[in-house]
Amino acid sequence: MSDLTFSEPQSHIDHFDRLPDSILLLIFNSIGDVKALGRCCVVSRRFHSLVPQVDNVVVRVDCVISDDDSPSSSLSAPAISCSSDKSRNPFSNLFRFFFGGIVKPLQLFTQFLSPKRPALASSASSALLLSEDSDAEHGGGGGGGVTHHSPTQVLKNFNEIRFLRIELPGGELGIEDGVLLKWRADFGSTLDDCVILGASAVFRSPAYAAADAAACGTATGTGEDNGIIPESFYTNGGLKLRVVWTISSLIAASARHYLLQPIISEHKTLDNLVLTDADGQGVLCMNREQLEELRVKPLSASSASKRTQVPALNMRLWYAPHLELPDGMVLKGATLVAIRPSDQSVPAMSKKEVSDVSWVSTAFEEPYGTAAKMLVKRRTYCLEMNSF
Amino acid sequence: AIQSSRFSCVGFPLAYIFLACKKKSMALKLKSSDNKIFEVEELVAVQSETIKSLVEDGCANNVIPLPNVDSKTLELVLDWCKNHVDVKLDEEKLKEYEDKFIEVDLAVLYDLLMAANYLNIKDLLNRASQKVADMLKGKKPEQIRETFNIVNDFSPEEEEEIRKENLWAFEE
Repeated sequence: MSDLTFSEPQSHIDHFDRLPDSILLLIFNSIGDVKALGRCCVVSRRFHSLVPQVDNVVVRVDCVISDDDSPSSSLSAPAISCSSDKSRNPFSNLFRFFFGGIVKPLQLFTQFLSPKRPALASSASSALLLSEDSDAEHGGGGGGGVTHHSPTQVLKNFNEIRFLRIELPGGELGIEDGVLLKWRADFGSTLDDCVILGASAVFRSPAYAAADAAACGTATGTGEDNGIIPESFYTNGGLKLRVVWTISSLIAASARHYLLQPIISEHKTLDNLVLTDADGQGVLCMNREQLEELRVKPLSASSASKRTQVPALNMRLWYAPHLELPDGMVLKGATLVAIRPSDQSVPAMSKKEVSDVSWVSTAFEEPYGTAAKMLVKRRTYCLEMNSF
Repeated sequence: AIQSSRFSCVGFPLAYIFLACKKKSMALKLKSSDNKIFEVEELVAVQSETIKSLVEDGCANNVIPLPNVDSKTLELVLDWCKNHVDVKLDEEKLKEYEDKFIEVDLAVLYDLLMAANYLNIKDLLNRASQKVADMLKGKKPEQIRETFNIVNDFSPEEEEEIRKENLWAFEE
């Protein structure tokens, strides 16, 4: 049970001594947060020996640091012109995510997001050095000053993780206020599927919603419900914006996937890996089979950038100018995009799956799950995209 | 003394026990480590996987001895089970009950953990573990030792070494 018993005659009993290792492990598994677990390691020998056996870990990343110091690294969505200039693509520089440090996490992240970051550049690159240093060496990365630790390093001592959740401090895509953009992607060695839900505006009050939509002067009245995309969608930039959302989300997802490689190869016990962000913008999931697929068949990186290559895709798009959810939330210009690689290995199955959209509506939490369910009932528009 | 409407101590008229049997669910008799007998509806008791397997094996006809659980703890555990019988119970109310239930001092919490583990009651075990986990979160090692009366059995050098290894855990 416990390797040590201090039988000092006192009323203060160490109750943990009574608990078997299995219960203590259950308690540690309920902690989740990797920092709290790290502190537990220091408490006692017994804690120190049990914490590495934890199978459920949550890593909250404090800040994301770019490899690329180019001041043009703006992450705002409109900057993403899919293929024109890959070296300047905001996502082409891979962001490593780092942990800890004395820099206020969100601050750093916002600075990273904003185009002007001259002051940051130096500190960022030095931080990177420090961390690479400590990556090569075992153990902690230096004392004092700006110290960053990559999740790989932090997770080094955990060798039985089955459920790992990594949370970035925020979504990568700079979107305007009021715009809704959420994606969920499943990866194996490459993208398996991706669902994107977007809306140009979200209203709360159902009473004003109709009036608001009318006041906004969009050609899309609320009475329209034949499911057909109005002509204006193609001409007023609506479709273009949706394509930008889609590509941005795919780039963000594939960049995240690329980041996970070292973690996946080092933690063979993983059953479930989720990489999410505090904004709830994007969720990348990998289950046991998908993790195994990546270990067996390494990913192919996109030619110019540090992200996983996205295969040629079939996309289905649903659009509603005005989507009112049962709870009163109104999505203006609601768009749902369901993406699958066009090259499905089993043709018979893929044919069947094309019509099956159940996976699309379960991709998001409520109320967005309902929104997706409502959207897939509308007319489907198909698009194709080349590998990138 | 009658503990509650659902379970009662020995000495209660036998007739009542038979009556209870005739109700929708059979009654089981559980004996705590301090030899108190609790009479419980089967539906309530079989939330313990340990008891459930005894019932399924036909070993539950007589009093079921639970030598690892004292009466104080068993009473709490059975109260938990009683409140978790009806799964259709209002989710909010159930959470309210659980939160209140788990607000106990450490010694009781450990007793509950041990009992839930021995009786194999998953939801109680998880809830009690979560409670301890929440108490561990956000505390420095010194505070953890103090809260839980854990003796630091590292030498200063060892502790320093481990602190270094886990430096990332100490940054705000």
